[in-house]
Amino acid sequence: MVSIQIRGLEKRFGDVVALNQLELDIHSGELFFLLGPSGCGKTTLLRSIAGFHLPDAGTIKFDQDDVTQIPPHRRETAMMFQSYALWPHLNVFKNVAFGLEERKVSKAETKKRVEEALAMVKMAGLGTRKINQLSGGQQQRVALARALVVRPRCLMLDEPLSNLDAKLRIEMRGEIRRICKEFGLTAIYVTHDQKEALSIADRLAILDGGNIAQVGTPEDVYRCPRSALVAGFIGETNLVTGEVASISGDNVYVKTAIGDLAGRPSDPVLPLEPGTPVTLSIRPECLSIETTPPARNKIAGHLTESIYLGEVAQYSLQAPGREEPFHISELNPRRVIRDTEQKLYASAKPEDIMILPYS
Amino acid sequence: MNRKLAITIYLSTAIFFALFFVYPIWHTVKEAFVTTDGGITFAYVIEIFQNPVYVEGLVNSFYMGLFTTVLSLIIALPLALLANTWNFKGKEILNSLILVPLILPPFVGALGIKQLLGQAGALNSFLIDLGMMDAAAPYDWLGEGRLPGVVLMNALHLYPIAYLNISAALANVDPAMEEAAENLGCHGIRRLFRITFPLIMPGMFAGATIIFIWSFTELGVPLIFDFTRVTSVQIFDGIKDLSGNPFPYALVVVLLVLTVMFYLLGKRLFGQEISASSGRASTGRSLRDASPVMNAVCIGAFSLVTGLAVLPHLGVILLSVSNQWYGTILPSDLTLQHFEDALGHPLTLNSIGNSLKYASLATLINVILGIAIAYVVVRTKLQGRQFLDAMAMLPLAVPGLVLAFGYLAMTREGQTFDFLILGENPILILVIAYAVRRLPYVVRAAAAGFQQTTVTLEEAAQNLGCPPLKALRKVTLPLIAANLIAGGLLAFSFAMLEVSDSLILAEQQQHFPITKAIYALVSSLGTGPHIASALGVWAMAFLAITITGAGLILGKKLGALFRV
Repeated sequence: MVSIQIRGLEKRFGDVVALNQLELDIHSGELFFLLGPSGCGKTTLLRSIAGFHLPDAGTIKFDQDDVTQIPPHRRETAMMFQSYALWPHLNVFKNVAFGLEERKVSKAETKKRVEEALAMVKMAGLGTRKINQLSGGQQQRVALARALVVRPRCLMLDEPLSNLDAKLRIEMRGEIRRICKEFGLTAIYVTHDQKEALSIADRLAILDGGNIAQVGTPEDVYRCPRSALVAGFIGETNLVTGEVASISGDNVYVKTAIGDLAGRPSDPVLPLEPGTPVTLSIRPECLSIETTPPARNKIAGHLTESIYLGEVAQYSLQAPGREEPFHISELNPRRVIRDTEQKLYASAKPEDIMILPYS
Repeated sequence: MNRKLAITIYLSTAIFFALFFVYPIWHTVKEAFVTTDGGITFAYVIEIFQNPVYVEGLVNSFYMGLFTTVLSLIIALPLALLANTWNFKGKEILNSLILVPLILPPFVGALGIKQLLGQAGALNSFLIDLGMMDAAAPYDWLGEGRLPGVVLMNALHLYPIAYLNISAALANVDPAMEEAAENLGCHGIRRLFRITFPLIMPGMFAGATIIFIWSFTELGVPLIFDFTRVTSVQIFDGIKDLSGNPFPYALVVVLLVLTVMFYLLGKRLFGQEISASSGRASTGRSLRDASPVMNAVCIGAFSLVTGLAVLPHLGVILLSVSNQWYGTILPSDLTLQHFEDALGHPLTLNSIGNSLKYASLATLINVILGIAIAYVVVRTKLQGRQFLDAMAMLPLAVPGLVLAFGYLAMTREGQTFDFLILGENPILILVIAYAVRRLPYVVRAAAAGFQQTTVTLEEAAQNLGCPPLKALRKVTLPLIAANLIAGGLLAFSFAMLEVSDSLILAEQQQHFPITKAIYALVSSLGTGPHIASALGVWAMAFLAITITGAGLILGKKLGALFRV
């Protein structure tokens, strides 16, 4: 399995810059996710790695090989398309065997490997089926088998689960991870579904405007977003702007319109000194709601909305001096506060308040 | 729509089809098996297969259909592939021009081809002038049997149908299908044969079917070429002594049965419907910008084909302004006399008026029936609506000659529908004949419009208090007007150029449509062919004005005119 190094990759479509001086390293054998809002360049990046787009500048290397100018049919990647792209004029077996035939694998070997691949995706014995006789989930499995059977240098998955229903999606994402790990595949997975990424990725990259906004493990990116954009894209968050008042030990005290809050920089090397403008990110589940004033990180206000969802209660707390209400999630709520008149307090531990560069 | 109204439309269109589609065919079939004293016999049909003249006619018809179809595909396939891969300069215009030959009258073009490729024609004169050919023994390009000339003319007329079908099929292929092959190592020509061709085969077959049926039974072009040894011409010649002769009927039946057989065989071999997988296409087809070389290749290919297809008609125009054109590259003596003659000739002015009248009325019927049928098929859940849809498409599959013959038989003296011939005036039966044959185009155009216009727009109007029919008129019809105009224009153009019905059903000079007038002029001596050419040019001018006018109304959507 290859590692992939991307240096200074640039791709324009007319005036639109799809990839902008992009740098990225994908390690051998890892399940790597590309995430981002639509139009961020994630699919363009994937298609560039597969060779469907010729970049305007920059290089793509598979291990030591520079593949930048290699056409797609000689890159030995295998892509699973969002629409599956199963050929309706060929049956399941022939679809899966296609890549092996192109690689001039012997008939006997082809048969053996196709059957193995179909068994691996739990489609054994369905080789003679026509594509239009398959359900969406089965088509998805055949598409995966077709990509796996050629033992690609890199497996590419372009929103592979977006056409499936929610239950099947959860089942299949586990399958995909199991198979990737079983074969030690280097796999690149494009999605806009953050749950999919958080649940099975080894590492992930958030793209924004043709650039990498952040790369890291799911925990890293969720716990320590390096920008307001990443914090807002992965999970939900409350953003508060302010300016550094003082620094004492681990805690940085920030003066905001709703009072002073103590937090920690998400990036230890972020240059902070009194007066530096910053943005704070506080996840809803880090905030707790209290009826009596807490000792520190006190956010006072009153409720504008209470939603009870069983395992969690969601509150919107309007604090004076701020337009947006704070979103607060309380796990395992014993009772739900619905009184909108009562003065209430929200509070978070300093280690749960992330200090980000001002934006 | 109100269910009662839908059923009324359904039943009235069904009755219309029963009377003017099923009945005439059945009538022809009956005549082929019934003896003069009322007994049933297979002798006539058997005789067809024993008479070497008829057998030769059938074999030639088959070749005419097969070679025309193959040649049309050979012309259209590379063009469609180029247009679906590259963006090249002037593509929009070239893409429209490539379709123009479809509405140029082929039997008029045949006059031009004879003039250009005949033994004393322009090409030979050119080669003799260059010293590349012996003037004493000029080569006969059209072949002794005239079949090559007929096939060439047919193909240059019909290739746009293949082009449209193949383009549509290519546009429907999810680009990911091709990328997946590329991704797994399959590239270039190999990918074309392993993936692209199988995927567009049904579309290609649909186009090929229409072309085959059209050219298998083509009457006008072989008539002009004096190619008498094909079934269509044999049938046409046979009506001269119709009353006593059962063989034209028997030939029509054989033609019909063979058409159906070839269609079924073709469908079995090539037309297997493959439905695409359920997934959404991930990317739209993005065309690559052509390199300078590719630009030249694309522009060259499109211009060459359009030029070749228009050339016969240019020949006609030259013929119409020439006094003398024999054994020279260009006419040796030019005149506008033929145009004046054409307008002064008793046959011509009348025939132009007649054609306009017949074609307009037929188009009106088509548009009304087309909207009604398409609405029932697309917008209602009426049971059996697919049957109505299939029925409306059937005229494409039945040779025009067969229907024309049926109409002739059912309006003969003493028959039930004799009254449709208003004292020798064939206007009613001709309008009906024109309308039935062109209905499929209008139904398809209207149905496409209804499918592209979401029903919620109409529902919104109804929700605001507009009754259903009024909502249809005020909301949907304006939105699909372009489709209706396109379908109507195509129907109108084809009706103006109609040959089989016109030649067979119009018997009195004063009722001749343009096509029959041209045919009558061609076969008359002296300046006949020149006047015929002049009349042909007038006809083309009319069509050009019509289509250009439509282009102005539709703006850039001109290409949609031909998206049947």
